Amino acid sequence: MIKVRDFSYTYGTAEKPTLENINLEVPAGELLLVTGHSAAGKTTLALALAGILHQEIGGSFEGSIIFKGKAIGEFDGMKELSRHVGMVFDDAESQLIFTSVEEEILSGLENRGFSETEIKRRLEEVMRLCEISHLKQRAPHALSGGQKQKVALAATLALDTEVLILDEATSEMDTNAVKRVFSILKRLKEEEGKTIIIVDHNVEAFLEIGDRVVLLEKGRIKEVKSPKDLPAAGHPEEPVMSETHDKIPHHSPEEGTADLPPSGTKPNNIPIISVKQLSQRYDEVRALEAVDLEIYPGEFIAILGENGSGKTTLVKHFNGLLKPHSGSVSVKGLDTGQAPINELVRHTGLVFQNPDNMLFEDTVEAEIAFGLNNIGAGGDRGAITRALELVGLGDKEKVFPRQLSRGERQRLAVACVIAMRPELIVLDEPTTGLDAEESDRMMQLMCRLQQEGHTIVMVTHNMQIVENYAERVIRMESGKIIEDTKGAALTETAAADIAEGTRGGMCA
Amino acid sequence: MKEIMQYINKDSFLHRMNPLSKIAAVTGIIALSVLSTDPALMAIMVLGIFLASLKAGLQQELLRQLKLLVFLSVTLILLTVFTLKSGPTIGYLIPPGSFAAAGMVPVTKGALDFGMVLSLRFFAMLFAFQLLVITTKPSDLMKALLTIHVPVDYVLMFVIALRFIPSLQVEGQKIHEAQLARGYNPGTGLRGKILSVKPILIPLVANSLGRTQVLGLTMDMRGYRNRQSVEKHRLEWNKMDIAAVGCVALMGVGVVLTGLM
Repeated sequence: MIKVRDFSYTYGTAEKPTLENINLEVPAGELLLVTGHSAAGKTTLALALAGILHQEIGGSFEGSIIFKGKAIGEFDGMKELSRHVGMVFDDAESQLIFTSVEEEILSGLENRGFSETEIKRRLEEVMRLCEISHLKQRAPHALSGGQKQKVALAATLALDTEVLILDEATSEMDTNAVKRVFSILKRLKEEEGKTIIIVDHNVEAFLEIGDRVVLLEKGRIKEVKSPKDLPAAGHPEEPVMSETHDKIPHHSPEEGTADLPPSGTKPNNIPIISVKQLSQRYDEVRALEAVDLEIYPGEFIAILGENGSGKTTLVKHFNGLLKPHSGSVSVKGLDTGQAPINELVRHTGLVFQNPDNMLFEDTVEAEIAFGLNNIGAGGDRGAITRALELVGLGDKEKVFPRQLSRGERQRLAVACVIAMRPELIVLDEPTTGLDAEESDRMMQLMCRLQQEGHTIVMVTHNMQIVENYAERVIRMESGKIIEDTKGAALTETAAADIAEGTRGGMCA
Repeated sequence: MKEIMQYINKDSFLHRMNPLSKIAAVTGIIALSVLSTDPALMAIMVLGIFLASLKAGLQQELLRQLKLLVFLSVTLILLTVFTLKSGPTIGYLIPPGSFAAAGMVPVTKGALDFGMVLSLRFFAMLFAFQLLVITTKPSDLMKALLTIHVPVDYVLMFVIALRFIPSLQVEGQKIHEAQLARGYNPGTGLRGKILSVKPILIPLVANSLGRTQVLGLTMDMRGYRNRQSVEKHRLEWNKMDIAAVGCVALMGVGVVLTGLM
């Protein structure tokens, strides 16, 4: 189907090639997995295989890519190639153009000259497959991240192209949704003989149906393996403890805890956050319903739940971004309904999923100073240095924040919040979009912060992290807490195939 | 949060109209409001558009723009009063006797009329355009524009621009929240508004620029450049369509005729 010969590629303005000397043959009907660290050239390779590099982006090419027996650059633009190739990009938001989910999926179908009954049949089928039928009339931009990705995938699947390329297309989906995608792809491959290329920093979920795994490193193919040679799904690699520990400068717990209570939960502690009968709604959609929750100092909590179950809505109450519709939330005795946000943020630091939504200054240093100035601690140079050292960005003080890598930007976002020394740190999906190495770093950082006396709450759908680190797990479903498990009890509910020592409280 | 300039899923008579006739009517209204200088005609047009929105139950949407439009009108009228002097003097902005015996900044009828016309132009154009956008699905709008052979690139640009409005709104909100979480408190009033620009606008623009490429590629992938639509359910004309286009055409003829006389 696709033949790549001695292919090298350099982006227009770049000095170094992004892809070097790639040789790869993808026969029809194969399911190919492409993986590698951030900046290994995965997305560029995906764009090359889809013909987008030649047709739309340009740059300097060497070698050739032959698609169905014809040089990929000789096709009549993406308009011809799009009949054969469908690609799902990682940024779901940008792939949703219209005002309802239905319209979104129809848009591609209506351009392909199918009959009306055929269009209808496909629409229904693809919505059923991707489990988005109930979202039919919803506006795509108002959906949660995972739901958006489902819709973007559905819109591409509906086109029924021979080749399907998924570039980090499931990064924000919960485990169940990824399993669903797995079975859809399995069927497409086995029954319809589609050629499927999955590009992801974590291909574990798809190993079972993969034919080959291509490992990219610094723009070159490092090796091509059979999935059987890789550790199978469910057997997680050991977290890279030693390596990341060395990179984060060591502070003894006492050093940073002067202004924070010591860690270690005492059952009769006063809760740092106390949520009583909290309900919240967006227009007609009920987002939270009568939630009761208490969070104690020093806890390491993971909040789990499907896409759209109310996790983010709940944590936005912790620093007063959302005010209770009914019920109450108090943070260190302050009622969030009354207290101003800039008072609450001294106690609760909330780090959002996308660091790019907050970075605006010219240097890393100024970025952190912004928060400190806001709480009237502007002169505290030490806080900046200390926060940067904690997150391993000690040498980047003068760098332009948007030039940092994705993982670095994420850590900078955390630094911006921890510099303000809130007792409670809340992170919304802190590892989304990070590769294994960067995720581990992030988690080590969380452990470190817990040891220094901070309370950590993480919203995540990464079960691995939950099993390894969380001491208390809160599970949410349709705006309610359906499970709240602590310490020892966790052992029973967590997946049984994990070794005893690695579960829960790896930090302790 | 309510989005502006977005399709509203309802079933009004405006929704049932053919997108093409709506485009024709809106184009007509815009042309008329640019060509005509008669405040009365403009007022009738604005009233007509508003009545149409009332019948469709969409008046709230138009009224949401009122604040902006009133602000714009007041600015425009002040500007013309200051810069244009024609016709009889009606009065003075600074009444006689307060600073100088004769009064300062005379308000002339010509200036007032011209200011009114300019304002009404904006009312008519914005209202008409907004009704078109909120009652027509973007995909239907695209189809209609492609049917009348508007170059596909322009159509894509138009739809992408529309698509960006709610994205920017939602994202602006997210960025605002992220900055609030950093203790950011711009204060209220004009000073606050100005102070808030940098921390919100820079991430907003930087993120949007990064997004355009994927959006464009997605549209290519969905095959908008080589449509082979069978158009089984060809867009149909109903009485309303004929009435709307007819109405605007009639007004156009009227304006041309009165202009000639």
